[in-house]
Amino acid sequence: MMPALAAATDAAVPTILPLGAFELVLAAGLVLLAGLVSVLLRLGLERRLTIAALRTVLQLLLIGYILRYVFELDSIWLLAIVVMVMLAVAAHAAARRTEAYFDGMMTASLIALVASSLLTTWMVTRLIIGVEPWYQPQYMVPLLGMILGNSLTGISLCLDQLLTTLKDRRHEIEMELALGATRWEAARRPLREAVRRGMIPTINAMSVVGIVSLPGMMTGQILAGADPLLAVKYQIVVMFMIAAATALGCIFIGLLVYARLFNARHQLRAERIQTRQF
Amino acid sequence: MFEIRDLDVATPADPATPLIRKLSLTVKAGEIVLLHGPSGCGKTTLLRILAGLIDPMDGQVRLDGEDGDSIGWPRFRRQVVLVQQRPVLLEGTVERNLAAPFAYKSADRPYSADAARSLLDRLGLPGGCHAQPARTLSEGEQQRVCLIRAILLQPRILLLDEPTSALDERIAGELDNLLSEWVATHPSAVLMVRHDVALARAVCTRAIDLTPHHVARQTVEAQR
Repeated sequence: MMPALAAATDAAVPTILPLGAFELVLAAGLVLLAGLVSVLLRLGLERRLTIAALRTVLQLLLIGYILRYVFELDSIWLLAIVVMVMLAVAAHAAARRTEAYFDGMMTASLIALVASSLLTTWMVTRLIIGVEPWYQPQYMVPLLGMILGNSLTGISLCLDQLLTTLKDRRHEIEMELALGATRWEAARRPLREAVRRGMIPTINAMSVVGIVSLPGMMTGQILAGADPLLAVKYQIVVMFMIAAATALGCIFIGLLVYARLFNARHQLRAERIQTRQF
Repeated sequence: MFEIRDLDVATPADPATPLIRKLSLTVKAGEIVLLHGPSGCGKTTLLRILAGLIDPMDGQVRLDGEDGDSIGWPRFRRQVVLVQQRPVLLEGTVERNLAAPFAYKSADRPYSADAARSLLDRLGLPGGCHAQPARTLSEGEQQRVCLIRAILLQPRILLLDEPTSALDERIAGELDNLLSEWVATHPSAVLMVRHDVALARAVCTRAIDLTPHHVARQTVEAQR
């Protein structure tokens, strides 16, 4: 089935200017410029900059080849492996950056990411773009990547805020429980604040998009020769998709933390929250 | 009737070391029971267990034969209210703090502004105080707001952890009078931990020494 969004602009014939190895070497000159600044100002960043540049090249080339292979082979098993690796890495990244943690936090963030990102990806590929089957790698992998990149930040911020609140404002929560509040009544304010915290970067990004920032995906599409209006349509879908995935991810992780740190006897198990030694 | 049976008390941080072993105690309406003992003997932890905020290692806590598992913990805690030593108030005015627990699902009566004002007045927090931001009050004033918030709920058992720690002697005396009157006119009882044991004995109907080797002996005496 032809993707609906793409079909709408058949008139725009893309003119893709090919990038070869020579052009990429020229681009490396830009990194040399940054290195020169570091040397002149004695920033001592040359080594780290070199490593970072090499990593950029290697990681992106690697993923480029993997994606090409996955798209060509069109195997559901290979796709499943790629998706699982993406989800696991994202869950690890989301759970790693918080100041406080609890046992099982990685699993919780994995569940929240899987539920929110797969649901949103399905809604976009199946219902909005109209891809058949909905998990066609060429659509699913990049969309999932964009969703995960954003919702992991939201989940991470939400987790951090929630755990910090439950630890620092433990007395306030226990006071409410001691006066007869249910666990939900005592937890809903910290939960609300945490979900809000997780959503802020996405809402900020949505408010300034196109004015302050031109999103990478859209810029990439335009550079690759796509009609700007088509690129914009895709970008709108992407922004809404990210907003939905982040909101769902934050709500899911909030509920999972709630289930883990409040028990059926309406007690706050604050001793389960541990602080990381950085 | 509030019953404590064979309670073993330990902190969640160190659940392997019991601070209090096999505590049994029955408290009837009208009583004011003083719990005392050296610091670190588990008084605060005991009160938190009685309120169901943490679990005991062993033993039961029942109100009229029912525990939190049978009637639901929020409802149990509405009847057995704990006022912790450090005053904890929410953002907002004194009145908002006093009224907040009446918005919980477990609330069984509406908030009475008149009752609140008369209690504020009585504990030296006169007119106009109810509209003040609660967190701008002094520690002693905040402690009184917390006490009033608990009394307004008219619990069957009031658990007080060092209720007079930030109060001057006159206000502390007024609180003692208030508690005596309250248990005399309501089907309620008070269990409190106090550092000023001598003063507290004047208002208490009974004193329980929680020094480790005392607990077992008193339990035996009580059972005779």
